[in-house]
Amino acid sequence: MAPSPAMQEQDMPGSFKYGVSTYSYVDDYGSVMTLEDAFDHIADTGATGIEILGEGQIEGYPNPSSQFLDRWFGLLDKYKLEPTNMCSWVDMRITLQRNLTVEEGAAELERDLRLAHQLGFKFLRPKFGVLSHDLIPEPQWEAYAERNLDLAHKLGVVICPEIHAPTPIKHEVVDGYINFIERTGTKNFGLMIDTGIFQDRPLTHWGSHQINDEARKHMEFLNGIKVPPEHFLDVAQYVVFIQAKFHDIDENLEDQNIPWQPVISAIKRSGYSGYLSSEYEGWRAPWRSIDQVRRQHVLLRKLEREYDEGKFA
Amino acid sequence: MLEHQLIQSTGFRNFGPVGAREGFAIRIRIPNYHGTRLSQLDGFDVTVDGVFYDHEINRFGIRDEVYTMAEMREEITARWGLTEWGEILVDKPGGLEPGVHKIEVVARIRYSYFPPDVHIFPMHAERFGTICIA
Repeated sequence: MAPSPAMQEQDMPGSFKYGVSTYSYVDDYGSVMTLEDAFDHIADTGATGIEILGEGQIEGYPNPSSQFLDRWFGLLDKYKLEPTNMCSWVDMRITLQRNLTVEEGAAELERDLRLAHQLGFKFLRPKFGVLSHDLIPEPQWEAYAERNLDLAHKLGVVICPEIHAPTPIKHEVVDGYINFIERTGTKNFGLMIDTGIFQDRPLTHWGSHQINDEARKHMEFLNGIKVPPEHFLDVAQYVVFIQAKFHDIDENLEDQNIPWQPVISAIKRSGYSGYLSSEYEGWRAPWRSIDQVRRQHVLLRKLEREYDEGKFA
Repeated sequence: MLEHQLIQSTGFRNFGPVGAREGFAIRIRIPNYHGTRLSQLDGFDVTVDGVFYDHEINRFGIRDEVYTMAEMREEITARWGLTEWGEILVDKPGGLEPGVHKIEVVARIRYSYFPPDVHIFPMHAERFGTICIA
C-alpha cells in the first residue's frame, strides 16, 4: 500500500509533529468533557500526539489502578494517538513551614519518571519551584535531575523543564540548564520552549481570569515579553519539545497575541522536527477551547506548508 | 460531572442536626488546573450575604475526611484530584435560611513555581446559590 500524502509529509526531514495538550481544555475537563472526549477532540484535529497533566488526567495519581491503565492504552489504540509529554510538579514549598529536601525532591521526580514511562510518554516536564520574579529555579533542581539521569536513560524518557514567560531565552535560567546538559553530557535532559515567550501583544484573558489593571501591574508579562523569534536558533540544539502556547485565534485564523509567521520561520530554520503541542490558555468559556485548538492546527500547518513552498523565509 | 464554575450548585447545604444546625457547606471543584496535595491549599475565605468567614477558621472536607486549616497545611500525602469535589465547612450556629444567598469564595492555592511573594494565589469566584433545607 502506498503511503498516504499525510504520512509522506510526516516522514519528511525537518517537518513538525502535531499534538495537543489536555491543558488546552482546563475547566471544560471534568465538567463538560471526559478523558475520552479529549482524545476525540485531539485526534479529530489530525494530531498524532497527546500531552497530559500527570496529576490531572491520571485517575488515582500517583498510583493509577490497572483498570485506568487498561482504559488509557485502549484510548491510545482507538484514537491512534501516541503519548508525548507528561507535565509534573515538584512541590518545593511542600508545606508553609518547610521546603523539600534533596532526597524528597529527587523522589518526586523519580515517581513521575516511572509513571510517565508506565503510560508510554517519552518526555517529562517537571515544574521546579522558583525563588524570584524572573523564575530562577531553586538550586536543588540540579541534584533532583542528576540523581535521576541514569533512570531516565534506562526508561527512555527525556526530562525537559519549560522556558516560560516571563523568562526569555537569553537568561541565566536557560544558561543553567544548558550548562547542566554540557557538564553531564546527558541525552535525557533538554529544554521545552513555551511559545508564550514570543507573545508580542497584550492578553485580555489569562485562562479563567479576565485581566484587569491590577493583574497587569503585578504580572507585566501578561502584556507579552516579546522574545525575538530568532533567539530560538541560539538554543535549538537543546530543545526537545515545544508547547505551542496561544490564547486567541479569530475566524480569519489571525492569532491576536503570538506572531506565528516569524516563530515558525525560526523553528523551521533550526531543523526542529519534534512536536508542536497545542496549549490553549485563553478565555475559559465552556467549549471555546475545542475550536480554538482546531484553528491553531490549521494555522500552524498552513504556515509550515507555506514555508516549505518558499512563500516566506 | 462537575459544573464549569468553581462554586457548585449542589452541595450548598446546612450541616449538623435539624433544628440545631452548626453551619453550612459550599461544594467546590479544585481551584486549579491540576490535582494537588492538600498542603498546597491555604484555605478558603468565604463571604455569604456580606458576612465574612475567615480561611483560618473554615474547614475543608474531601471524600470522608474533614481537615482544619492547621491539618490541611501539613497534609502532604492526601490529594485532591482534578475531577473530585471538596467542600468548605463554615461554622454558623443555626445555619442559613432556605432561599437564595450571595456566595463569594477566595480559594488560596499555593504554587511553588510562582515567585515567593505571590506564591499564594487567590482565586476569586462568586455566584448566587440556593439553600434548600433549613
